[in-house]
Amino acid sequence: MVGIKTESKGRAEKTGLIFFPAFDWAISPTHPEREERLLYTRDQIFEEGLMDLPQIEELKPRLATLKDIARTHFCVPDVESQITEAHLVAAGSAMTLADALEKGEIKNGFSLARPPGHHSMMVVHGNRGFCNINNMAIMVEYFRTKYGHKNIAIVDTDVHHGDGTQDIFWHDPDVLYISFHQDGRTLYPGSGFTNEMGGPQALGRTLNVPLPPGTTDEGIHYVLDNFILPVLKDFKPELVLNSAGQDNHFTDPLANMRFSAQGYARLNEKLAPDICVLEGGYAIETALPYVNTGIIQAMAGLDYSHVIEPDFTPGRFTQSDEMNRSIEDTVDELLDIWNNRDLLVENAQSELGDFYRRRKRIFYDTDMINENQEESVRLCKDCHGYMTIASTAQRGYGILNSAYCVSIPRGACKSCTEDAHEEFEEHKDDRKFNYICLQDKDRDSYQIYDVRTRNRKSY
Amino acid sequence: MLIGIDVGGTTTDAVLIDGNRVVKTSYVPTSHGDLLKCLLNVFDLLMKGVDPKKVERVVLSTTLITNMIAEGKAQPVGLVLMPGPGTNPKDYQLGQEPIVLDGAIDFRGHEIQKLNEDQAKMAGRRLYNLGLKKVAVIGKFGQRNHSQEIKAGEIISQIMPDAQIELGHKVTGQLNFPRRAATTLLTAATKDSYREFTEQVARALKERKISAPVYILKADGGTLPLEKSVEMPVETIFSGPAASIMGVLALTTVEQTSVVVDIGGTTTDLALILSGEPLLSSKGAKVENLLTHIRAFAVKSVAIGGDSIVNVAQDCVDVGPRRDGAAFCMGGPGPTPTDAMRVLGMTDIGDLALARKAMESVASKLRVTPEKAAQMVVDAVVAKIVSEVEQMFMEWEQEPAYRVWEIVKNEKLKAQCVVGVGGGAPPLVPLVAKKLEAKVIVPEYASVANAIGAAVARPTLTLNLRVDTEQGSYSVAEEGLTGKVTGRNMNLEQAEALARKLLAERAERLGIGEQAKEAEVTYSEIFNMVRGWSTVGRLLDVRLEVPAGILEGWRP
Repeated sequence: MVGIKTESKGRAEKTGLIFFPAFDWAISPTHPEREERLLYTRDQIFEEGLMDLPQIEELKPRLATLKDIARTHFCVPDVESQITEAHLVAAGSAMTLADALEKGEIKNGFSLARPPGHHSMMVVHGNRGFCNINNMAIMVEYFRTKYGHKNIAIVDTDVHHGDGTQDIFWHDPDVLYISFHQDGRTLYPGSGFTNEMGGPQALGRTLNVPLPPGTTDEGIHYVLDNFILPVLKDFKPELVLNSAGQDNHFTDPLANMRFSAQGYARLNEKLAPDICVLEGGYAIETALPYVNTGIIQAMAGLDYSHVIEPDFTPGRFTQSDEMNRSIEDTVDELLDIWNNRDLLVENAQSELGDFYRRRKRIFYDTDMINENQEESVRLCKDCHGYMTIASTAQRGYGILNSAYCVSIPRGACKSCTEDAHEEFEEHKDDRKFNYICLQDKDRDSYQIYDVRTRNRKSY
Repeated sequence: MLIGIDVGGTTTDAVLIDGNRVVKTSYVPTSHGDLLKCLLNVFDLLMKGVDPKKVERVVLSTTLITNMIAEGKAQPVGLVLMPGPGTNPKDYQLGQEPIVLDGAIDFRGHEIQKLNEDQAKMAGRRLYNLGLKKVAVIGKFGQRNHSQEIKAGEIISQIMPDAQIELGHKVTGQLNFPRRAATTLLTAATKDSYREFTEQVARALKERKISAPVYILKADGGTLPLEKSVEMPVETIFSGPAASIMGVLALTTVEQTSVVVDIGGTTTDLALILSGEPLLSSKGAKVENLLTHIRAFAVKSVAIGGDSIVNVAQDCVDVGPRRDGAAFCMGGPGPTPTDAMRVLGMTDIGDLALARKAMESVASKLRVTPEKAAQMVVDAVVAKIVSEVEQMFMEWEQEPAYRVWEIVKNEKLKAQCVVGVGGGAPPLVPLVAKKLEAKVIVPEYASVANAIGAAVARPTLTLNLRVDTEQGSYSVAEEGLTGKVTGRNMNLEQAEALARKLLAERAERLGIGEQAKEAEVTYSEIFNMVRGWSTVGRLLDVRLEVPAGILEGWRP
């Protein structure tokens, strides 16, 4: 086992567990993200008596505030219209664990809450990939604002590429985002290739490991041992966080991987995340009860060797030599990117001018929205540079909403701060947009300006 | 007339009630060796000049089972588990090494691994060779499918036909396998002794010619006919504290949020009454080191009381948690809170000169006057109790919840009344109330609140029904009943109707049939089971409850 943590997080020996199944919330009655999703998981972990064990402390979630969400997302037209109370509880669950960890009340924690979040991007017009707001990203921003953490690593173990989390931290060299997932050519959201590796100032801080369908415990542990753990050791994060999806399981109805409950438990034992946040996983009877039990046990240092799904026998799944080689090649390629990250950044900056611009199209599968974005970041020598996003969302043939978003990063220099405020003020009369948004992370202050009514909303 | 008797560890308290009036109270020391004599004595004191035919109802509460377990006098039990996939049984703290059998049921009640019958036979032989007479057999999710528990029990029974075998699903059907195992263990371990207790009670009543129906008080403040209670001895655990809380309900008109403070010699028991209803512990009582499924009031026992030892360390007064004997003013070994109260004139128990002497010893270390020292001792006791009460409210607020609306409403409560019972209550409780900014109530008869509570408590009744329409079956958590349902579209109303019918039958079996109609639905949930994109069935859960309460005739 590779030790990756530079310091012990506190005096407590307990694993904090928040179980919040939101038994009164669903996207729609028959949607995979429905009330029933954690029902059998509840039965299993309650029947196991896990909450009674001295190694585990069950915590009650609190509600996230609207400001906690505005710190991470540009919600259009405002935060209130993008969320339900269930979202505030799911985000609040992660933040409750963050507080308990910082206070030394727990040694690590697992937020077993729905709804999930890792497909929610920085700008939010609606629900995509079952997600409205990004619980993991909201917790990361909270960790930084409240507790001043800088270097944070997120490892996304969901079978789907966490394109939302990637988008939010794309330009941020202090957040390392590593995602392994089923190859985007074969699964939603169709992204997460090795060449997606972060903005020009943060190249190599986004690392994607696309895996062939049918990858087993063996393949994922190869990636963990030979790529993820060494990179983490190198990056020396203050916190390691796991976006813990459970849909790599061999019975998941929405994906095609062959991971087992034992594989998941062992992954969490090796990764030793400070906090796990539940993402997807829709094999609600055949996988979730067992996978969740295994993850909780692994985090709490309990014996997980007895967690075996009814239809699993060790050695049931094997990988072909060809599959092994393809995974090894991907890892070699990624190690190359990681090892050359400083050079990549240097080259990019010498090639680009004062600003880096890109256009993006984003599809919201749940809400059937098409969004067009034009993103611009100042390549500043003194700070991470301010960013603007011009966003237009369409539903059907009509324009749904448009927004011009300005983000001032933490530690922004005077010039970037002034220019960003100028951009915000200038666009207040820009009739091309419905809303003008400003995010000032150092001041922890967030505004949405309605161009038509000239009303301003602050968080 | 009603009789209430609380057979406590030290004394046996009794009251005789006529209508809404306490006619007589009496107490005798509890003689552990000869319970019969103790009961006869207390009847003689209580019933002097009263016609036994006029007694309509007798209710007992007792700490005998609690004490028996605490003193390790319960009988040894062989523990056989079928844990299936999940936690290593070694991680459960059940106080003994279990015998583990292969075999598994899942959360839906599907058999996912066959019972290994050879292992069951070997387990029987091993337990037989150990000379055990009691066996507890518990399977994970055994309440959702009893077949493996029953089969394993039969196999073991064939090998050791004289043994008493308890099956987990018969004891309780609540989720939580280790708690079910602990509750089943305790049931097996105490059944014989409890039956002896009930026989002695019956004999005492017969000798005193009392033919009224007799009930036992359970830990949840409800009564159960004595003869029906022999199957569930552990339900009577902690019925002593439950009696005190029922006494508070009987002696006050508390519709508000109250704290019950029962200050004894060694410990102070705290309980909460929220909007007139005593708070139950969320998952079940803790018995010694075992977490169980026993429904019980949430009683917190704090190791501080009138006889706690007083220490001085670095100019600070420290009280408890130990008790070395009686108060100094009563001939005990060292200074105690009782001595402090005596010096301050808060009580007239014991010898004042001795109490002063005790406080002088404290005062000299603190370099203050004896009065000041006494005040510091009393303040320390009050501060400790207040902080524990606040902690209880905080824990209540932090109880996990699993639905959005429960998190959003986020109730905050504080005590409106502090109700004192027990011997130490009158002087100290007003001080606790003042600190909590609450009203103080020390009811008349506070010292026999326990016996009064027992006398006027009415039955409680619970039924947890679970229906799985895809499998076409239902199960009842309380007795391990199962049955069939037809149709996949049962709705909550239909499930409630089924639960009411089953509850009425259960009440009839328990001899408290008249109570069933008062049951309220305290929890219900319905889940559509969707496979692919279509609904294949429903899971419904309904809980019916008759909560703890007081007999109607008691209040004027």
